[in-house]
Amino acid sequence: MSQAPQLEEILRSLLRRHLTDAEVYVKRGRSRRLERTTVTELSSTSQERAWAVRAGNRRASFFAAGTGDLTSGVAWPEPVAGHALELPEPAEVPAWTTPSDFDTPLIGEREGLKLLESLGRQLETELPGARMLRAVLEDGSSEAELANSRGLQASTRSRIATLYAEAAEFGRSFASASLYVAAREPRRFHPTALARRLADRLAVTAVGAPPERDGGEFLLAPVVMAHLLAGLLPLFVGPGPGARLLGARGRFGSEHVTLIDNGRLPGGAFESPVDGEGVPTREVVLVEDGLFRQPLLAWWQEGAAEGEPSGCTRRAGWRDLPAPGPTHLYLMPEPRTAVASLLGSIAQGYYLIDVTGPGRFDLAADRFALPVCGFAVQSGRASAPVARAWLCGGIGAFLKGIAGVGRDLTFHPLDGMIGSPTVLATGLELSKGSG
Amino acid sequence: MPFSKLDTAAVARALSQVAERQDDVVDAFFERREEVELAPEGEPGALRVWREEGFAVRLAREGRTWLAARDAIEPKPFSEALRQVARVIPSAAYPEPALEMAPPEPVVAPELLDFPATVARAVRAQHVGFPLRIAVRRHRRWVQVVGPRLVAAAESETFYSCSAESSWGRYGALLPRLDSTAADQIAAAVVALFRARQAKPPAPFRGAAVLGPAAVAVLLHEAVAHALEADTLAQGGNPEAAVGVAMAASCLDVLDDPSAAPEGVRRTTDDEGTPVVRRWLLRGGVVEQPLADSLWARTSPVLLPGAGRRGTRHLPPGPRSSHLEILPGDAQEADLFAGSDEGLFLPEASRGALDPLSGEFLLHLPMARRFRRGALAGTVGPCVLRGRVADLLTRVVAVGSEARPAGAGWCAKGGQKLPVWATAPALRLERVEIAP
Repeated sequence: MSQAPQLEEILRSLLRRHLTDAEVYVKRGRSRRLERTTVTELSSTSQERAWAVRAGNRRASFFAAGTGDLTSGVAWPEPVAGHALELPEPAEVPAWTTPSDFDTPLIGEREGLKLLESLGRQLETELPGARMLRAVLEDGSSEAELANSRGLQASTRSRIATLYAEAAEFGRSFASASLYVAAREPRRFHPTALARRLADRLAVTAVGAPPERDGGEFLLAPVVMAHLLAGLLPLFVGPGPGARLLGARGRFGSEHVTLIDNGRLPGGAFESPVDGEGVPTREVVLVEDGLFRQPLLAWWQEGAAEGEPSGCTRRAGWRDLPAPGPTHLYLMPEPRTAVASLLGSIAQGYYLIDVTGPGRFDLAADRFALPVCGFAVQSGRASAPVARAWLCGGIGAFLKGIAGVGRDLTFHPLDGMIGSPTVLATGLELSKGSG
Repeated sequence: MPFSKLDTAAVARALSQVAERQDDVVDAFFERREEVELAPEGEPGALRVWREEGFAVRLAREGRTWLAARDAIEPKPFSEALRQVARVIPSAAYPEPALEMAPPEPVVAPELLDFPATVARAVRAQHVGFPLRIAVRRHRRWVQVVGPRLVAAAESETFYSCSAESSWGRYGALLPRLDSTAADQIAAAVVALFRARQAKPPAPFRGAAVLGPAAVAVLLHEAVAHALEADTLAQGGNPEAAVGVAMAASCLDVLDDPSAAPEGVRRTTDDEGTPVVRRWLLRGGVVEQPLADSLWARTSPVLLPGAGRRGTRHLPPGPRSSHLEILPGDAQEADLFAGSDEGLFLPEASRGALDPLSGEFLLHLPMARRFRRGALAGTVGPCVLRGRVADLLTRVVAVGSEARPAGAGWCAKGGQKLPVWATAPALRLERVEIAP
């Protein structure tokens, strides 16, 4: 049932307090969490009922959020002088049909635990000696409504499931690995594929070693490339120094680099017709064939940099203030390029299959370092496992050195959903340390 | 207390219907939270207020736990939550106990408004001045735990967090009070970052390091407290097997004592309603009592409950440290910095990380100072102290004679973010590795 009348009543009560700019947001959600460790099992359900209000005038403002039902009897805090609150105007929202999987019920306790159990079993089959230490499946759905004093009204729904798994191998030598994935609903998680990914990581980490320092061609698996893109987000989001760093309108990457953000991406984990402030979302081309087109701009950043703003203000939860960021930011795949053909083209280099820890990105110094694992490659074939290695290089040189892009686009939950296919890159270095 | 009108007897009676077996652990956890933040100058939503309340009902049986949480303290959702965790549905509906809560007090936090200016004055008192973005937040939490047989006394916590950001880095701290001492602490840290702004990271170094109390607190939180949590120990085998293991140099005595935490966050019971204990984690470097909650304590007679903590009602409690105490030794400041070889003094740590499986440990240091023959010398930039816990803790050779509250901060594990507190002296370690 729509809560629009209640939201209007709250807006009126705020106006009576001379808070001429106001936004009211209400959210209801439900989630199930299933967790298995080596010795314990947890099944929990949560129901969320909460609200958030931003209100102010030209001189002062406040943000208040709380659980329960929002009524006009809430005792608002006294606004404090500071930056004026700015709110978006209503805009026409292009037609959008709620995806059918938004209505699927949350995963059941038995089905969810079975999925986790199956993941553990598959892992042991893929790599005898490996053991799942902890696996957590979360599945949730929510509905939110918002209204502001400019007349904007919007309602959104969301549905997302995440899976975190941590495994170890206690065989020849000790190794551990973890993964974190997200999808619209948990039935899209395939235990065999996930177990294989963990097993590959464990097998490589157990016996691999880093090269002292080496170059060559680098085949970067989607998860590695997604982490690199996530580290480079300040270059793409907002009119800040990042966009200017690499010569905003000049060549940003090789002709294989086309970067897009799309809040309406069909099938995307955060697919929505409007953003966290009710502004219509759309596809925004940030980099096209290597040329920088525009950064991701929120409505209030219009004019601060060249480019058209879009609905890109995220609201992670009712506790969070809206802030701009990507929803589904991805490197465009090349549908005719198979990963095998990229691998086959490598004379000498590395195939890096996963990231093993947080990276370091120094955008001002144009340098990055990312801990990775994978294989050394000779004449298109894996020749030795590589682990505890750092992929290092210059950011500009890396983007301009992208020599090929595969067709296997996959998304990873990082800062928003960041997607990439497998990428062939040159001009990088693999070494023992991050320096 | 917001729970004064809560009919805890009726809640206990309702819970007893869910506990069918003698060994079942059943409880209801009620919480109210309030956070008030003064945002950095120039940001919209200058005053930010978060208020929430809710509950969780839990049933634990033979290693399995069922939990149902709601964002409202009302009779009907409580009865629904009972039904969700119960393994057997009774013929009659679960009762709906009266769950009346005292209304929240109006938001008044005048102490926040003055604090940024107090910090700015404290910075100027050190004869420097630079733009600083300060966010300061007051955290208040009230907790009531009810079991089918016992009702613990309600507990409350009040503390502050402050984040100060300049062009040369960010400093964050948890503070029991917002007073001039707190402002001086923040000012000293940001001024140190400012003065180290052009300092280059040290070349890879192996030698003596003196850790200030704040860095010691972070080191021992990661390397002792996390390592001795029963659930962490269980990843590598049986938690009780850790008892009696010589884990550190014999000069190290480390305790966890929530009842000795700073006023405002001091606790008599944990988040499971169990009385807290003054727990010797290490006595003379030997593991004596790992951290356990009520479920882990049931797995072994050597594990004592009382360290169950929960960051939110939506997640079950787990064994965690609250207030770490490192007992002072007999080394005076001159002893700590003695010796002819060059060493590094590490006053603060920005964060620490422990891989519980491999035992590998990292301590990130925003800056450090060289010392030689008892005197402090030049400043070096950001660096990392790394090693394996088992090896690193045996390298402690001297413990400072003066312990002081230091190193309070946020600890995140398994999706639960909790405030942790510490009282620590300085430590000297030999032959440790520090790299840029």
